Amino acid sequence: MKRAFPGLFLLALLTAWPGRGSAQPAHTGPMPSGRPEPEAFLRREAYLARRDEAVRWRAAQTPLASAGLADLAARLALRQDAAGVSARLIEVLRAPSGDMFWMFPVTCIAYLGREQLTPEAQAALREAWRTYHPLRGDTENHWVMYYSSMLLMAQLWPGEPGERWFNGKSSTEIAAEARAWLLHWMDLATTIGQGEYDCTHYIGEYLIPMLYLSVWAHDPEMRQRGRMMIDYILADFAVDSLQGMYVGAHARTDDKTVLERWNGLSSFFAWLCFGNTVPPVGYGGWGMFFAVVAQHYEVPEVIHRIATDRAGPYLHRERKRTRHRWRNSDVRNAPVYKTTWVGPDYAVGSDQGGLLQPIQQHSWGLTWAVPDPRGVHNTIFANQPFFGAQELMMYFTEMPDWMPASVTFQGKPTYTSEAKLLGGSPYEQIFQQDDTVIALHRIAADAPFIQVNGFFSKDLARAEEDPSGWIFAQGGRTYVAFRPLAPYEWVPIEGGGRRLRSPHARNGVILQPASAADFPSWDAFKAAVRALPLEVRLEPVPRVAFTTLRGRRVECAHGEAPRVDGRVIDHAAEWRLFAGPYLNAEVGSRRLELTHGRLSRVLDFNTLTITDAVRP
Amino acid sequence: MTWNARSFFAGALALAAVLSGQAAEAPRHDLHLLVNLSGPGSGIIGRAGPARSGLYRSADRATFEHVGPHHIRMFHLTHDPRDARVVYVAALDGLLRSPDRGRTWRITTSWDMTEGKAVGFDPAQPAHLYLALPDGIAFSPDGGGTWERRQAGITRAYTNALVVDRTRPGRVLAGCELGIHLSDDAAHTWRRVQPTAKVTYDLRQSPHDPRAFVAATSADGPLASADGGETWRELPGIGRERTLHNLVYDPSTPGRLVLCGWGVGVQVSEDGGLTWADRSAGLPRREIWSVAVDPDFPGRLYAAPFQEDVYASDDLGRTWRPLSFGKATVFALGFLPRPAQ
Repeated sequence: MKRAFPGLFLLALLTAWPGRGSAQPAHTGPMPSGRPEPEAFLRREAYLARRDEAVRWRAAQTPLASAGLADLAARLALRQDAAGVSARLIEVLRAPSGDMFWMFPVTCIAYLGREQLTPEAQAALREAWRTYHPLRGDTENHWVMYYSSMLLMAQLWPGEPGERWFNGKSSTEIAAEARAWLLHWMDLATTIGQGEYDCTHYIGEYLIPMLYLSVWAHDPEMRQRGRMMIDYILADFAVDSLQGMYVGAHARTDDKTVLERWNGLSSFFAWLCFGNTVPPVGYGGWGMFFAVVAQHYEVPEVIHRIATDRAGPYLHRERKRTRHRWRNSDVRNAPVYKTTWVGPDYAVGSDQGGLLQPIQQHSWGLTWAVPDPRGVHNTIFANQPFFGAQELMMYFTEMPDWMPASVTFQGKPTYTSEAKLLGGSPYEQIFQQDDTVIALHRIAADAPFIQVNGFFSKDLARAEEDPSGWIFAQGGRTYVAFRPLAPYEWVPIEGGGRRLRSPHARNGVILQPASAADFPSWDAFKAAVRALPLEVRLEPVPRVAFTTLRGRRVECAHGEAPRVDGRVIDHAAEWRLFAGPYLNAEVGSRRLELTHGRLSRVLDFNTLTITDAVRP
Repeated sequence: MTWNARSFFAGALALAAVLSGQAAEAPRHDLHLLVNLSGPGSGIIGRAGPARSGLYRSADRATFEHVGPHHIRMFHLTHDPRDARVVYVAALDGLLRSPDRGRTWRITTSWDMTEGKAVGFDPAQPAHLYLALPDGIAFSPDGGGTWERRQAGITRAYTNALVVDRTRPGRVLAGCELGIHLSDDAAHTWRRVQPTAKVTYDLRQSPHDPRAFVAATSADGPLASADGGETWRELPGIGRERTLHNLVYDPSTPGRLVLCGWGVGVQVSEDGGLTWADRSAGLPRREIWSVAVDPDFPGRLYAAPFQEDVYASDDLGRTWRPLSFGKATVFALGFLPRPAQ
């Protein structure tokens, strides 16, 4: 007790004291109920209160003398100490860095500070955009940040010649280029899908610039497009979420969030916009740059309800695209076929497998619901660990040999590890029927690792290796049957849990989950799974015929189209841009229909209209 | 020894070598390097440490001046044949142009042209500018003022190398993902003259014989053409196992070629590529990003091992000395004419 006392005292002090180092009320507080709020006024009030909490917390964190851009933005949003903020901004702008990650925060400050910053600070801002050369970047999120910022800053300082800008272009040229790229990106996203889709972190790098466009663009078209893209991206998240957690598959996630499913920037947006989870530490870091302007966005009720109010389990399909392919491909953007099954107790999501994104792809997984997600590894999945110049040359333009190693010192340390749990594989083929996943692996002899990794969480309530070959496990209220198709061994994971390592070139995994409530007992679930018809052959190629708990006969063979109840599945023909009970869009349509109960909203990028309707 | 002290010491040695009389007259060219300095927190998009990456210039081959913006992905440079002060750099942002040797810059390309890999002028039509891109080839009729795509006939259009024949207007060679392509009509149409399994990373025209070209490839070894790029043969002795980055002529000595690549070290040939001598012994590693032959100091080579100092040799690679930079990836080494004062 004596040793605990100072810690408790400090915690109480930090909680009570709103100044530097104060605890984040929502981050450390209880989990919200997650129930939908039917009252529009109360919903809005709660949203603004959350926004206010985040901004006030940020503004009180750091003394002005050491304040960074987020601290300054928060103070400007609260209209605090404009003179002090101005003086500090001048200091901060003396050493700009971060490229597009510098551009959008500084854009935010420039607009928030239009009537607050001193003339000297305004001049420092102007000078920074002449002397600092932020890079344009090499991927979609970079370009969204870059061009949204360029459009707004060219608008802030119109009519200026190239000599006044770091890139030598005039304000008019910058605005035209930025607008052209943004329209191009929106067109791609609303016709063949987003390239960096469903990212647990990078969702912020899309939502924040779109918010800025929606608020600050002078051109009403760009304001409207910004608003519509926020709805579009947020709805895409809402439908693929469980208790505010972004469920897979993801174009990009990270080593932390792939295990602790809640712990990503996306959960900040779930907290702020849906109120159904707690925010990550620091409100997700970048989330602050949304929060400071968030009062200008109103979460549509239909999206709020999609995230928080589900009538029952649902199957949702999406078509996305890969990011730009430069080499090793005959197509610039290959299609990505996503399937997500969401129920009250768990969600299962997948893509079709393959190298769909570089480095941080998460191809399939099950996420189970938990009373409190903080610190919980509430997921089970498998992957084929792969890395190499083949993948990197496809998605990056640089020389081949240095790239794998260089990735490991660019913030992705597990990229070349055999223990990695992130990343796609050219040897993996995945098919999901309802909540059943079949992943097959045909691994080449010269692959970097001839093995499959399965993640078994420290937070599984139980896990049993059954003589039948199934591994039965329970996470939360979810029963899971996990069937490795080849022999395996167990490897402990630092930080908890263990890794199933199956070192065989012909391989695969079947995942068959169920809600515990659907079975009278644990034993009954196991018996039901054992009784399911299952045929497995691994030579010459992995091949599975399996009848699921929902009674569907699924046949998969590596290199062939899957069959369900004898019917060949044609991904290209059957996967629409969005298809499910809540979101629907046709490929090429530029039109997304959001539906919940009697509510609907149509985002039509052809006419730039948002149409709300209530079915009588 | 600290980086600064080591750098100073190396620089002083190099300067002494220069002053000792190797060059009777002032160099006519300045050495330029396109560098990514990957110190802590540096060298990554979205981050910046204390080191400044980008274009460095050296007049004395001993001290280096950073020119232009901090930029971690600059890949190739050239100059306007009519005015050596006008510098072009193919970079992550597209094609950058400086009218004043790097004091001011303009990105000449727009959003639809990213990550320029190589740039070349047509000496016969010096307003004509060609740009190699990861998704094809762009042409500018006015020195970068306007651009259009010109890549008809190329499939798998990733292009990393480009050379414009200095004796035949409108004749351009491009090193693409699956071969070397040739155009005789200012890039309007292309035909593949040499298939390759993977990317061609470097293409050069001989300064001694305009019909002679060489190419460094990723999986087809070093290639040479004696008929203006129409036909190609593999040069012996190197093999196809490793990625070749540069294959360059010595402007002072016909028949001399210098080659580098990943795991290849530095190789020197005195007989036009028939035989090679390994000149990597004094270098810290065999992963060599780029090499160059000094046009003003016969026998002097520069080599940039991956994530190391840049090295210089005054005896064609038999011995090497570190020059500068520390942990560097040098995407390109090049010489631009020194403008008249």
